[in-house]
Amino acid sequence: MASSRDDFIIAIRSAFLKKSTQQKFSLLTLVFVSIFTIILSSFDFKFIRYLKAGISEAVYRSSFIVSIPENFLKNTFFEIKEYSSFFQNYKSNKEELNELKSKSISDQITQYENKELKELINNYTLSSDKLLAKIIVDHDSPYLKSIIINKGSKDNIKIGTNIYDRSYLVGRVVEVNYKTSRVLLLSDLNSNVPVTIAPQNIQAIITGTGKNYGEIKYIKEGISNLILEDSIVYTSGTGAIFKSGIPIGRIDVADTGNSKKFKVDFYSDFGQLKYVFAELVTKTEIKNEDQQAEIDDTQKINTTDTKLQILEDEKKIIEQTNLKLKDENESLKITINNLNKQNVDFRNELYDQKQIIAQYNIDLDEIEFLRLNLKFGHQCRKSFLNNDGFEVGTLEYKSCVMNKGQIND
Amino acid sequence: MTKFKSKGLYFKFYTFLPIIALFISVLNEFDLNYLKLKYFSFNFPFILIFFFTLKDFKNFDYLLVFLAGLINDTVVGLPLGISSLSYILICIATSYLRNITIRPNPIKDWFYFLFIISLINSMNYSILSLFFSYDLLLLSYLVNIFFTFILYMFFTYLFKYYLRGLND
Repeated sequence: MASSRDDFIIAIRSAFLKKSTQQKFSLLTLVFVSIFTIILSSFDFKFIRYLKAGISEAVYRSSFIVSIPENFLKNTFFEIKEYSSFFQNYKSNKEELNELKSKSISDQITQYENKELKELINNYTLSSDKLLAKIIVDHDSPYLKSIIINKGSKDNIKIGTNIYDRSYLVGRVVEVNYKTSRVLLLSDLNSNVPVTIAPQNIQAIITGTGKNYGEIKYIKEGISNLILEDSIVYTSGTGAIFKSGIPIGRIDVADTGNSKKFKVDFYSDFGQLKYVFAELVTKTEIKNEDQQAEIDDTQKINTTDTKLQILEDEKKIIEQTNLKLKDENESLKITINNLNKQNVDFRNELYDQKQIIAQYNIDLDEIEFLRLNLKFGHQCRKSFLNNDGFEVGTLEYKSCVMNKGQIND
Repeated sequence: MTKFKSKGLYFKFYTFLPIIALFISVLNEFDLNYLKLKYFSFNFPFILIFFFTLKDFKNFDYLLVFLAGLINDTVVGLPLGISSLSYILICIATSYLRNITIRPNPIKDWFYFLFIISLINSMNYSILSLFFSYDLLLLSYLVNIFFTFILYMFFTYLFKYYLRGLND
């Protein structure tokens, strides 16, 4: 018993302390160094921060280079897949583009109006620029969902900077180095975003699931039934971590029997990201009234200029539409005139035909009179023997003839 | 079989191949996750480190293993030192196994590997969730352990082939 325990202790001691001929450090030393590093990395010392940033900078670049062959194969596979459905996508995209173009101008105007209203509500102004960033490391880890972009503190990226794919939210920056940054994706388990569900206007929080979709959590009791399939999810701006009104995805209601699960299908496919936009927000406090007036004037000029530009564009479009309408109007007028002429001609023709018909009727009466005159004229004519008759050519004579010789008193 | 002139450049490169593979795998996160196979993931560095430290491979320096751990932490975004500690613990486990084994048995090694990776992943999970408040999916860890265990034999076969090339 005792000897087996001794063997165990000897084996353990040997495992920890014995160095092989090639090894420079014993395993026990390295265990202590590892633990020391873990403890240090849990503290936010300036030195450790810089050291971590330095290591990250070098490692991310190396990782990017090492990943080139694998990324090449991966991208080739996806490109081949994409080409197979290229034509169908092209057709649907064309239709979508036409629709979006028509909506674009009114959207821009709404945005500027929205901005002005926000400036009125808050005591600061926000101006933002979007910076294009390339994804240099995108390892789809099963535990943590994050990407590395090639912009860092040098490009004014800060912790919390919102990251977009087109206009859709992708995540936010959680680690900043000099020329690189780590972005925590919305699908990560540690990601929580306050959102609004439209059109029901329900406030909720969306959390990552570690998979390619999110889940709606922390919703007020009793209103979950109001959430419908395909409802739109966008950021509410609560907590000031994310800007408000950024689209995230659509609701997919999964009925699990006893309860409903609200999945969120992200608009953006995080596995296919190559480039993203980092939004650089500059916050300017509104100063006292005099200074503010000056700042407001310059800002207003800028805003007004842009607004004017949009309005001018809109005016151009309206003018073009007006011209088109005028042309259409002219052609319609010509058509109306032609139709009126045709109408007058038809009327004249109708009048002539009526005249002919009337003449024909008169002629018919005359023939009838002559026919009856031959037959009954002697009965109506005044003569020596017929004192009751009438003078030829009078109306009484004519009516007598038409009555077939019957004299009416 | 490929034959090398000892001390030639190619031979040196060949002898350093496992450590190069380790560094590439931690920099590249070689785990085929992009194939989007549901629940599929495995830890290649664990297999590599376990096999070569068990064989007491002369160019598999513990310090380099430690550095590979630091790189892995940086790439994955974990607190520095977590992976280094995991890798070093594997080295300790294999060193212990080497000391107590008289007649090596691949099946015993295989199940010992399962025990070790389960222990280390549990420790990782505990440290990350208790001390660093990370939200982690336990299922992902279990799946990762399972596939790492399953694929160990396949990679063992490849590595033995590599070692045979070195001995010839």
